[in-house]
Amino acid sequence: MGEEKDLLDSLLMELRRGTLVLSVLSQMKEKKYGYSLVQSLEEKGIPIDPNTLYPLLRRLEKQGLLESTWETGGSKPRKYYQRTAYGDEIYQKLKHQWEEMAAGMNTLLKEDEA
Amino acid sequence: MNPKDQELMERYIYQVVRRLPKKQRHEVNLELQELISDMWETEQSMETVLTKLGDPREFAKQYQDDKHYLIGPEYFDTYLWFLKIVLLCAAVPILAVSVAEGIQEGMGLADSGIVQAVVTSAIYGIGKGIPNVIVSCIGIFGGITLMFAIMERNKVKFDLEKETEWNVRNLEDSRTGKKKIWTPNFLAPVPDKRAIISRGDSILGIVFIVIFCILLIFAPNFFSAIFKNGEKISTIPVFNLEQWHIILPVFILSLVIGLGDEIFRLIAGQYCKPVMISNIVCGALQIVLSFVVLKVFPFWNPNFTAELKLQAGEQISSSATFFIEKWNGDLASNLLFVFITVLTIVEIATTVYKTLRYGTDIKANKA
Repeated sequence: MGEEKDLLDSLLMELRRGTLVLSVLSQMKEKKYGYSLVQSLEEKGIPIDPNTLYPLLRRLEKQGLLESTWETGGSKPRKYYQRTAYGDEIYQKLKHQWEEMAAGMNTLLKEDEA
Repeated sequence: MNPKDQELMERYIYQVVRRLPKKQRHEVNLELQELISDMWETEQSMETVLTKLGDPREFAKQYQDDKHYLIGPEYFDTYLWFLKIVLLCAAVPILAVSVAEGIQEGMGLADSGIVQAVVTSAIYGIGKGIPNVIVSCIGIFGGITLMFAIMERNKVKFDLEKETEWNVRNLEDSRTGKKKIWTPNFLAPVPDKRAIISRGDSILGIVFIVIFCILLIFAPNFFSAIFKNGEKISTIPVFNLEQWHIILPVFILSLVIGLGDEIFRLIAGQYCKPVMISNIVCGALQIVLSFVVLKVFPFWNPNFTAELKLQAGEQISSSATFFIEKWNGDLASNLLFVFITVLTIVEIATTVYKTLRYGTDIKANKA
């Protein structure tokens, strides 16, 4: 049983990993800081580990999809991320792909049920 | 956040950022402070927060773009610096030796005109020196890269060993084949600044030993008195080269032990019990071996003074006469042995003092 659960976990993780970038990009129209993003994604049913999210945000910034600013006005310095124009463009394309893919997947899975 | 939580947070962040490239460390540090304090506000327990975040090594790996390193970012800066220094330290003496050989060769042709002698020297020096330098540098590059790659591997093991301190539960875990799960209790305290061993010192020590080894193996003639007698150059070795095949291995063994100790210090990076033990053991071995080399073996060239007198002939100065008359192999051995012993003991004493005073593992045991 344990092995089955491990396998399921690792398959699920793989499945989720592919959707991470799109999930994160979708939330970044307005600027957000890391932990608020963790919480809002969790509320919406897409949980993501902070130790995955933080490095991912850096990576997306390096790729030019997000930009970051440190705000030092509050009680502690916070790093805010937001989509760049390039990020917007990529996000729209990815979103379109996702919709096609999801429709295709639904067809595949329904076929199996029939 | 109470001071204990603050301390745990700092330890955790330190364990993550020390595995990242230098230029990322500062910013990731700030990011993690923000994240951990945000999570703490919801959870109200640092233990829970850090357990959620998981093993800092795994966290650091996420930042590293899943790359596998021959030489990771933790060592890369040191590696580059070390490589530059050693290559320079090797290239210069090798080129110098070749040029000196060229000049010696050129001197032999001095009869056929100064121009020809100079040209021969230059061609000889450059033609032999440059290929020698290139070949040696490639070898050194490979050797150093291998050394750091081994260090990179061993460092990983070093970490693992520290974190699986033995207790009864380990026994159960190993029986059930379960991997030990990381908990915040594994976090070692951030080392005291005074407990950190300067990498520069260790590296300089290593460079010095390596150069000395190279010279002893390939050019024991380097340690010679050099004479220009008319047009001919002659050298009188200081060491007993006839017995060199017996002396050299012990000499090199002693240096290699010192090298091992220096490399271990470089890997550990801070004063701690293993560093102290290694230093005491290596120091003691080195004292014994220097005793063997200096006092048991016929270390000095027994004909040194006789040959010196013969070569120097009439062009001798009064200070040189004084030196020749006073030169005594036994006395030199004794002085050198005392010098080495005192130096080694001072080094061991410093290490013991710093380890007991500032060493992280000892402080943790006391606490």
